[in-house]
Amino acid sequence: MEYYLQQLVNGICLGGMYALMSVGYSLVYSIMNFSNFAHGGVIMVGAYVGYFALTALGCPFLVTFLLCGLGSGILAIIIERLVYSPLRKRHAPSLYFIISAMGASIFLENFVIAVIDGTPRNYPEIFNQYIHIGNLSLGYDSLLMIIVTAVSLLLLMFIIQKTKIGLAIRACSYNEKAATLMGINGDLVIFVIFLMGGVLAGFAGMLYGMRFIVKPTIGLITNKSFVAAVFGGLGSLPGAILGSVLLGIMEIFVASWNSAYRDLFVYALLIIVLVVKPSGLMGKITEDKA
Amino acid sequence: MRKLLALVLASLMLVGLLAGCGGDNGSTGGDDTIKLGWMGSLTGDQAAYGTCESQTLKLLVEKKNAEGGILGKQIELICYDTKGDAQEAVNVAKRLCAQDKVCGIIGPNASGQCIAIQSVLNEYHISDMSTVATNEKVTVQDGVLQEYNFRVCFLDPEQGRIAGTFVYDNLGFDKVAILYDVNDDYGQGLKDNFVKVFEGKGGTIVAEEKYNGGDADFTAQLTTIRDSGAQLIFTPIFYQDFIMIHKQARTLGMDLPMLGGDGCASEVLFDAAEAVDGSYVINHVSLVDPSTESWRQEYGARWNGAKMELNGYMAYDAFLTWCAAVEKAGSADAEAIAKAYTEIEVTGITGTIKLDPATHNPVGKSGVVEQIDGANRTYKFVASVAAG
Repeated sequence: MEYYLQQLVNGICLGGMYALMSVGYSLVYSIMNFSNFAHGGVIMVGAYVGYFALTALGCPFLVTFLLCGLGSGILAIIIERLVYSPLRKRHAPSLYFIISAMGASIFLENFVIAVIDGTPRNYPEIFNQYIHIGNLSLGYDSLLMIIVTAVSLLLLMFIIQKTKIGLAIRACSYNEKAATLMGINGDLVIFVIFLMGGVLAGFAGMLYGMRFIVKPTIGLITNKSFVAAVFGGLGSLPGAILGSVLLGIMEIFVASWNSAYRDLFVYALLIIVLVVKPSGLMGKITEDKA
Repeated sequence: MRKLLALVLASLMLVGLLAGCGGDNGSTGGDDTIKLGWMGSLTGDQAAYGTCESQTLKLLVEKKNAEGGILGKQIELICYDTKGDAQEAVNVAKRLCAQDKVCGIIGPNASGQCIAIQSVLNEYHISDMSTVATNEKVTVQDGVLQEYNFRVCFLDPEQGRIAGTFVYDNLGFDKVAILYDVNDDYGQGLKDNFVKVFEGKGGTIVAEEKYNGGDADFTAQLTTIRDSGAQLIFTPIFYQDFIMIHKQARTLGMDLPMLGGDGCASEVLFDAAEAVDGSYVINHVSLVDPSTESWRQEYGARWNGAKMELNGYMAYDAFLTWCAAVEKAGSADAEAIAKAYTEIEVTGITGTIKLDPATHNPVGKSGVVEQIDGANRTYKFVASVAAG
């Protein structure tokens, strides 16, 4: 029993990290109807910002954390301005956005390899301790991860549901053209969603670096968070969160049974969802969206 | 047009040849010297390893020449950079054999390059003594002995045997869990041999957990291992995964020690000094053994305080073996030296080296196991274990 409970906790931790990443995919998709694959690169850069802030600058933990969010947020906006904005002005089809996003992702990866190097780096050991609840162990890093994920996602939901800009975002996600005709500033909405997605990506990058490792190709896990976003229903925030946590838990249980099947399971799920229920758990029903 | 192209290509080749002549010739001499070739990575990812090997050999050749050389002749050492690339290794091997006409080669410092140069060695009948190439195929390919390839290090599968013996006999553990990368040949080989030896002695593998290279989350497998009652986790993997697994194990409340192969032995481990503290790694020779301290001092004094890598010890033994073979052969004839390699026995810095005529691998070598001392960021010598 305790064994399964521990695996459940492991799954929630992994799912929490997916959630921080997948909301970025979902936010962009909800407004712009394309899968922003450059998001993985933004997460990776966030992890590097955290690494250098801790080791080279010797920043305290909290400052580092905010720097990661800030760095990734700014980078996400820069990508939007340089890459997507010109395409938007030309009313280019979604396919162009997706291809540019992939290009931006590969660019970021190679940029880091060229400017820094390809050597994997380890964060300093900050959170090696753990707490015991009965026979359950919960590392400080896992605890922190759950708290950060929960707080930032609640904050995000609050912004979307309760503020004026949130209302504008929701309006745009229903119908961007109609919303802008009604006087909503579409550029501002897009600025805000890239900023929010970027900040969360920075947090996710830092948490990733603390728990795992920092290297230019952390793509595997960001790909899985994209699968989580699809599973939950692209474009839906509650869907992305639910999909992430469920995927994390299922993945851990599959891995505990036979780890060779874990990736097979995740990507089979992606295909099954796309074939059987493309809108995922909670997504809007769309046919023309990539 | 075709003529022009030919001209351009020819001049390019010439430039390449001239550029290649930047090789480091110890001293210039005629027929009254004995030529020894070395090749390895002086640039690229493994530059640290190759640089250490070439510096070791230069130091040893200087000493030997000062003592009067070998067979009354001075040794001329010719070093070339393979850039860590198998194709470049082939080019360099050709240059050493055809142009410099060396009587023997030491290096290169990676199995892939050693395997690549086999056809060149066979063509020119010149032998190569590998330092750290642990892949089985370096000396025996598909059951066929490579006549001109030799080595002074133990093989990958033998490490598995060292691990099994160490855990059961030295640590006295009989319940062990394994965690390894299913996509990696190196780990697979180590694991199989570990299991064979460990179970043969009466030990039990209580959990055999796998992962795919590139995975970052190991909590599912570690939780299974935690509940299996294992006393140690055998991890035949590389150092980066070794670090991640330790970090995650510690946050799961597991204080179990782990045992890694030579792929884990690295200074990088101390990035996670607190997490890896108390675990063990296998190596070819102890880097902190007091009996080799004087050699480390000598090396450091000659090369501006440089720290010696494992390769320094292995190159030392490769050189001793080569010297013994030349003396046994009584001449600088490459064929005679290759033949002499399996007829000699040398007491080297990493133990006795006696090459098996059937495999060209050293017989009865031992490996050492060291424990990681995280607090002092160093290794502690624990035991020396026979590989055979």
